[in-house]
Amino acid sequence: MRVDRSNVIDADRDAVWKIVSDPDNYPSFMTNLERWDSANDQSPSVGARYFVHWKVGSVPVGGLMEIVEFDDLRDLAWVGITGVTMRGRIRLRDAGKGQTKVTFRLSYQAPGGIWGYIADRVAVGQVGRIAADTLKRLQKRAESGG
Amino acid sequence: MAGLAEALEWAREQVSSRVPKADLDQRDPDYIRDTLPMTWLVASLYFRADVQHLDRIPAEGPVLLIGNHSGGNVPPDTFVFTLAFCSYFGVERPFYQLAHNLVVSAPPLGWLRKFGTVAANPENARLALESGAALLVYPGGDYEVFRPSWERHKVDFDGRMGYVKLAREAGVPIVPVSSVGGQESALFLNRGQWLAKLLRADKTLRLKSIPISLALPWGLNISDLAGHIPLPTKISIEVQHPIEVDGDDQAVHDKVMASLQAGVDRLAERRRFPVIG
Repeated sequence: MRVDRSNVIDADRDAVWKIVSDPDNYPSFMTNLERWDSANDQSPSVGARYFVHWKVGSVPVGGLMEIVEFDDLRDLAWVGITGVTMRGRIRLRDAGKGQTKVTFRLSYQAPGGIWGYIADRVAVGQVGRIAADTLKRLQKRAESGG
Repeated sequence: MAGLAEALEWAREQVSSRVPKADLDQRDPDYIRDTLPMTWLVASLYFRADVQHLDRIPAEGPVLLIGNHSGGNVPPDTFVFTLAFCSYFGVERPFYQLAHNLVVSAPPLGWLRKFGTVAANPENARLALESGAALLVYPGGDYEVFRPSWERHKVDFDGRMGYVKLAREAGVPIVPVSSVGGQESALFLNRGQWLAKLLRADKTLRLKSIPISLALPWGLNISDLAGHIPLPTKISIEVQHPIEVDGDDQAVHDKVMASLQAGVDRLAERRRFPVIG
């Protein structure tokens, strides 16, 4: 399943990138995030690993993630190494007049055949709400000066 | 009477011969991973489970998880906590659970061994901890799991504290795991210890209880050996802070009981209605 949510933030890309490029900030704006802990003590860049869990349904879902794309002021993407098969991306683009369009994508696939497919379908509504609410909180933080 | 004694002896031999030797290699992380979505669906939609503070469990190394046990022979708390542990730490982290001989020897429940369920005895527990795994133990066992539903918020191990010695010898911390909701999955009326003694099941099958309950789909359910369909009760679990084993057994046991009971009380306070939660 793929969840894709966007919004336009009234702040320039530098200001937004400053927040999203440091995963230590994620607990402050990512909704339902239960854990985002460094796993290999590497500064945020390609290869940095984190233990990441979102509360989805009854339990924390996630696992060990690795940053696979760290494109200054543009894209930050990660993939899941353990746990649910997952990719995540935060994408920044200019929206004119000092504004920034932020896109938050989560693609995931649970194991287990048909049960995994059903679980994916059941979870997609909540994952969508998590993504949308995360962007609102990021917007609030960026527009209030970070 | 002689016929009954022979039948019970036969049953004892059948059960004890079927109890598999602890083989930690039977745990299968890929099998667990494949079944997590189904268990997630049941836990999220049917039991509306809520598991908090898994971060209090040491991130690595062996640890003894001690829980209060509820729900008769179909304990939703075990099921939900196993899901939560495997989701949070990954199926790669070794995790075993101790269960009654009758559970691990029942042919229809053979799949539990792939989840890391081993027969409850000190040897298996030591083996698991020495291998560096996390181990989930319910010291209250069949005594606690069949307590009457009106005592659902009471943690009662019947004085059993062998787990403290186990933790001390293995040099591992104890992490209490409090849960509520499981004892509302049926209406448990009586532990039936008198019935177990009358039928000598306490001697032959290590069954100290032959419980009496009202449960689906049986109505009046005696023994719960065939299990039951649990009511869709809301399961709430709260992991407590680790306790180091640095005093005598009674002192450590008292700390664990106090921690567990305080957690149960907190969860119970938030509960407005039975079953609904």
